[in-house]
Amino acid sequence: MGLFAPWFLAGAAAVGLPIYLHLLRRHSTTPRPFGSLMFFEPRTQSSIRHRRLRYWLLLSLRMLLLVLLAVAFANPFINRPAASVSSDTLVLLVIDTSFSMRAGTRLNDAKREAMSVLASRRSSQPVQVMALDSQLHPLTQPTEDSATQRAAVESVQPSDSRGSFAELARAVRLTADNIRTPIELHVFSDLQRSNMASSLAEMVFPDTVTLILHPSVKSGVANWSVESVNAPGQLWGNPKGGKPSHVQAVIAGYGTPAAARTVSLLVNGKTVATKSVQVPANGRATVEFPSLDVPYGFSRCEVRIDSGDGFPADDGYRFAVERSDPERMLFVHAASDSRSPLYFGDALSSAAESAFAPQVVTIEQTANLSPSKYAFVVLSNVAALPASFDSELLRYVRGGGSVLVALGTSAAGRSRVPIFGDSITEIHDYSRELSRGRERFLTVGEIDPSHSSVGKAGNLSGVKFYYAVGVDAANSRVVARLSDRTPLLLDKKIGEGRVLLFASGLDNLTNDFPLRPAFVAFVEQTARYLSGAERHSGARLVDSFLELRTAQEQDLAQALGVEVVDPDGRRPLSLEEAATTQSFRLTRAGFYQIRLANGRQDVVGVNPDRRESNLDVIPDDVQALWRGSPHQPQRASSSGEAPQREEPYGLWWYIMMVALAAALSESWLASRYLGTAREES
Amino acid sequence: MSQRFLDPTVLTGISGLDLIAKTVVDGFVAGLHRSPDFGFSQEFAEYRAYTPGDDLRHVDWNVFARTERAYLKRYRGETNSLLTVLLDASQSMEYSSHSVNKMDYARYVAASLFYLAIHNQRDAAGLIVFDDEVRNYIRPSTRQGQLARLLSGLELAEPRARTDFGKPMRHFQEFLRRRGLVVIVSDFYESPESIVRTIAPLRFHGNEVVLFHILDPQEIRPVFGEPAILVDLETKQKMEVTPDYARKEYRGKMDAHIADLGERSRGAGMDYFLLRTDRPLDAALREYLNIRHERN
Repeated sequence: MGLFAPWFLAGAAAVGLPIYLHLLRRHSTTPRPFGSLMFFEPRTQSSIRHRRLRYWLLLSLRMLLLVLLAVAFANPFINRPAASVSSDTLVLLVIDTSFSMRAGTRLNDAKREAMSVLASRRSSQPVQVMALDSQLHPLTQPTEDSATQRAAVESVQPSDSRGSFAELARAVRLTADNIRTPIELHVFSDLQRSNMASSLAEMVFPDTVTLILHPSVKSGVANWSVESVNAPGQLWGNPKGGKPSHVQAVIAGYGTPAAARTVSLLVNGKTVATKSVQVPANGRATVEFPSLDVPYGFSRCEVRIDSGDGFPADDGYRFAVERSDPERMLFVHAASDSRSPLYFGDALSSAAESAFAPQVVTIEQTANLSPSKYAFVVLSNVAALPASFDSELLRYVRGGGSVLVALGTSAAGRSRVPIFGDSITEIHDYSRELSRGRERFLTVGEIDPSHSSVGKAGNLSGVKFYYAVGVDAANSRVVARLSDRTPLLLDKKIGEGRVLLFASGLDNLTNDFPLRPAFVAFVEQTARYLSGAERHSGARLVDSFLELRTAQEQDLAQALGVEVVDPDGRRPLSLEEAATTQSFRLTRAGFYQIRLANGRQDVVGVNPDRRESNLDVIPDDVQALWRGSPHQPQRASSSGEAPQREEPYGLWWYIMMVALAAALSESWLASRYLGTAREES
Repeated sequence: MSQRFLDPTVLTGISGLDLIAKTVVDGFVAGLHRSPDFGFSQEFAEYRAYTPGDDLRHVDWNVFARTERAYLKRYRGETNSLLTVLLDASQSMEYSSHSVNKMDYARYVAASLFYLAIHNQRDAAGLIVFDDEVRNYIRPSTRQGQLARLLSGLELAEPRARTDFGKPMRHFQEFLRRRGLVVIVSDFYESPESIVRTIAPLRFHGNEVVLFHILDPQEIRPVFGEPAILVDLETKQKMEVTPDYARKEYRGKMDAHIADLGERSRGAGMDYFLLRTDRPLDAALREYLNIRHERN
């Protein structure tokens, strides 16, 4: 018995008021002289005693009423055993369906255990069945129908996702907040240590939740797996004449002894290479395949090991490789500028794995060229373009093409930037402006790393710029600025295409950028950005998201509908989703075929999170800590009974009922008592 | 003289019992003159030969001048006209629920009777004040100054002690040897049987006995708004009384007491008359004249 608001008991002091009033009334009855009392016989005393009894009864009722009100506001409660309200308890059966449950008979064991718990339940108890991987999936609503419950348990299938006990705790906390009834949570899992959250606090349940763990296994088992593969996602040109590509795989053992494993590389289902590797005890080993010979188009590759363990599902690692012809790009330069095509061409060929084949022309040679045949166009140190090529290039950009404009020293004679359109405000020759005892160059002051062309270009801080052209940047996105805040790299969208403006030159006269390693990365990223051929690695993890269309493509009326074919050959997207969705969650392990909104085809290999391969079990002490009773051993899970708990049960409602009865009695008695006086007066 | 001067509450504003008595009686007589049904006069009865000891004031000197014999002129009303008032001066007579307590009312009644008897009827009047003993006795007389003595005796009669008819009644026997009218003014807080048994012997000497039962209206119809503690003025006993009881049972008992006393009194040949202290005094005077008229 306790009180939620004990301070309200101070209100009981109000009982002094009726006591004071009643005693005051009594004391006010002063004796009155009377002629003779001979007609008041002794039997009249009984009448007075009756009156006095009623008087005290009225006083008692008034005091009782005030005390009851004070106690009701103090909100008393008693602790009732939770078992007494067991019919209100929601039983949650959560079956772990994460990737590790594919090992051995873990999932079947968990389902059988869940069935036995269901059999021991009372039929009146509501039960909800859920499946847990990276998210908590309700399989039923809270129901008392045992057939529905059993069917839901039977329908549980393993997934390729990673399990997350933090997500379980978050979802159960949310449920507990909503239903406000006690929850008896049964978790049927292999209790992988890797499924735990970084801190136990994220896995804590509310007080109303009773956690009962049903481990499928008691201890961890040895397991080998291919932890990761490093392979190119795209290859260009003839496989015979192209550069050789190699594949590197990491083989990991969890709780394993030192052993030699056979590792195979499969391309489109055929084993193209096999190697043996010595994996240390509970360690990792690296295997490298020197050449990856894949045909044109997409190839579905896989690195497999001959593990011989009890968890064969994680013995392979899938990845996809695309081989295609290099794309052509047009490099236009002034006839007097011979350095920029040299630096740009070398950087492009060395960085982009021969993905682009540059066609270098001078300004005079552009008269009969059509830009539409090229992936993108670079204008380097161009003072003026032939009118026909200028208009053709502008139409190309507006139709979706991309152009990189590098302003060299020839920009001094112009007032506007070709194609880009914005005006040239000033010319900065830092070698002359900053000559008085100071450095003769400027460096990059600020940079926008979110832009694709410089995001992976490395550190540009050391690059010296001797010459830069000031351009009005009001209508452009400034990607990089020099230290005097002169815009260095600007991005502008024109029509459906885009123009990237480099406010210095691509030679080593206006800056030393071409001489630095960062230039190669910059050229590669810029080329991929302008060509729209940014391709990610050919391997993904389960539950990662694949971008199907960009935000710009989302707005395009003529954008194509995307198409996704999952490893089972089904199309998981509806027509409406295919027309609008921006990203897709990869939920299955295997190869996905994808057609993006820009028309490109892609194939990605999806692999389960390798943390699922570590089959170590949560230690017993941590399990006990998670259950919230570190000193209490795990109860027999088959009994399925929750431990006895007590919960407060409020009594204010009953007290208010008694107070109401007291108030009615007081009114009735007072009306009779005072009614007599009114009649007599 | 107005009838309103018979109202006891008006009389409380008048100082001096003589003036009160004169006011009451004059007002009462004026009222009688206006009444065609009730005659009042001093009617001549006979002449009687003078005997030594007779009051010379009553000698008819005109007859003496003609006959040289002394004759006394006698009136009809003068026969056996002797009024004795027995006034209860116990503490219960002090009770009052309004401006006139029972003792004052009894004084007014007695004074008015004395004035009427002495001044208008030329009767002899006497006074006995008693409680549980005889406290004062003024023998009946028609001498000069008798009225003043009687009124003084009334004013000196302060309530004290308890009513006890038994003890002073023995003295009454000694005092009331002559025939006359005996008026007992009291609240009669005793059993009617005991009262009548004690008083009835007064009639053995040929006295006419009248009981003026004086009660406060609150004693007849008590009204309490809430339970009250009452104190008996004589015994000092305290008792808690509820309104319900006072409204029902007490009234029944009091009514029965009054009825019983009246019935027993009349059964014993005595007259009984209830006087409420909130009523005018003419009722008492009218009763006195009625009885006197019947005696003559």
